[in-house]
Amino acid sequence: MEQVIIPRNTSDLIEAQFEVLYNVFKDKSRDEDLEFDLSQIQWVHPLVILPISAYINDTHSKYILESCKISTYLDAMKFPQGVDSIDLFRQAIISGRSYIPITVFRKATGVFREKLEAMFQEKIAEMLGAIKETESAITYPISELVTNIFEHSKKDIGFICAQIYRNKNYLDICIVDRGRGITKAYEEEKKLQLSDEDALRAAMRGESTKPNLESERGFGIQTSKNIICEALEGQFILISGAAGLLIRKGKENLIPLPEFYWQGTIVAFRITKPLGPIDIYKFLH
Amino acid sequence: MNQNNSTILKMVDLLAPILSSRDVITDVIKIALKHTNTRLVFLDFIDVKFISRSVAHELLMIQNQFEHTIFQKKEIRFINMNEDVRKMFAIVKDSKTHSEHTKIEFNPKKIDIDSLLSKI
Repeated sequence: MEQVIIPRNTSDLIEAQFEVLYNVFKDKSRDEDLEFDLSQIQWVHPLVILPISAYINDTHSKYILESCKISTYLDAMKFPQGVDSIDLFRQAIISGRSYIPITVFRKATGVFREKLEAMFQEKIAEMLGAIKETESAITYPISELVTNIFEHSKKDIGFICAQIYRNKNYLDICIVDRGRGITKAYEEEKKLQLSDEDALRAAMRGESTKPNLESERGFGIQTSKNIICEALEGQFILISGAAGLLIRKGKENLIPLPEFYWQGTIVAFRITKPLGPIDIYKFLH
Repeated sequence: MNQNNSTILKMVDLLAPILSSRDVITDVIKIALKHTNTRLVFLDFIDVKFISRSVAHELLMIQNQFEHTIFQKKEIRFINMNEDVRKMFAIVKDSKTHSEHTKIEFNPKKIDIDSLLSKI
């Protein structure tokens, strides 16, 4: 089993987290069983810890926490198994803390999944101190991106977590699945043979993978990105297969990821506390 | 709750204060509707803070199905919607009416990973 040493953070920039994630999974075979060595890390962001958690849950991979300076934090985050019930979520949430632990949504739990997701959403709004007129700007992207897991990924499990950095005035959220990925969704539903890069472009242009013309059009991810980046002045990362998108400060970058492959989809975003009412409906078509 | 000739289904009790998942709506609401014995059913959105586009779309489809079915025909009305819920239904209804696909531009700049990482 190959050992992967998770490197120390060099920066809080979202690009730096992207770099860590890329280096963790670079040059690995798909679904290879790995041993993640977290002993050297002194901090970890959602964009790194959540995909590792999802990967461990999905494979027979292991992890090492010996001498890890943040083992207490990782334990509080319920790394790597996460919490998947309302009771476990309530037990793991401690008032005033700066994180929401790794939360696992399982399709089979039906209405309890809906309640768990609502609790997660409400906790996010509380952590941000969001006023009532801004909550929909936070709720919409999370709802759409989690829904995408169960409507598109062909996987019955999704992962989410969050961390607020009060001194820096931003909140990081990451949403991960280990499903078929965006490229495969277009191939299987629309019979389109796209590269991973073209699949991300298509998704961001709102080209639906839904086979039924009566179904809602595929604007969820594109609208979510617009709300995050424009209404919330945030930063947005989308990774699926061997391609990624990084959108921040008005710049949209498409990044081919050689020698890297993520089975499924990773979405991560960084937002600050909204300062005034936000009308998300002007972003919806 | 069944009052006279109508039934009220309280969405927050059946589901949650934030409604996101189409599949959960389909499973729970359709079953709940089939178990009502009145022709008129109110879906009560009191204390529901937000519904996703998928959920709004699914509920409108369910409303339409029950109104046009031969057996177990029902009139379904949505009540006590807050502004966010009302606006989401309006958006979805509007997109069903104007179903032509609006082309969205997305032309990101392609950048190789080494160039991106060298700027960190």
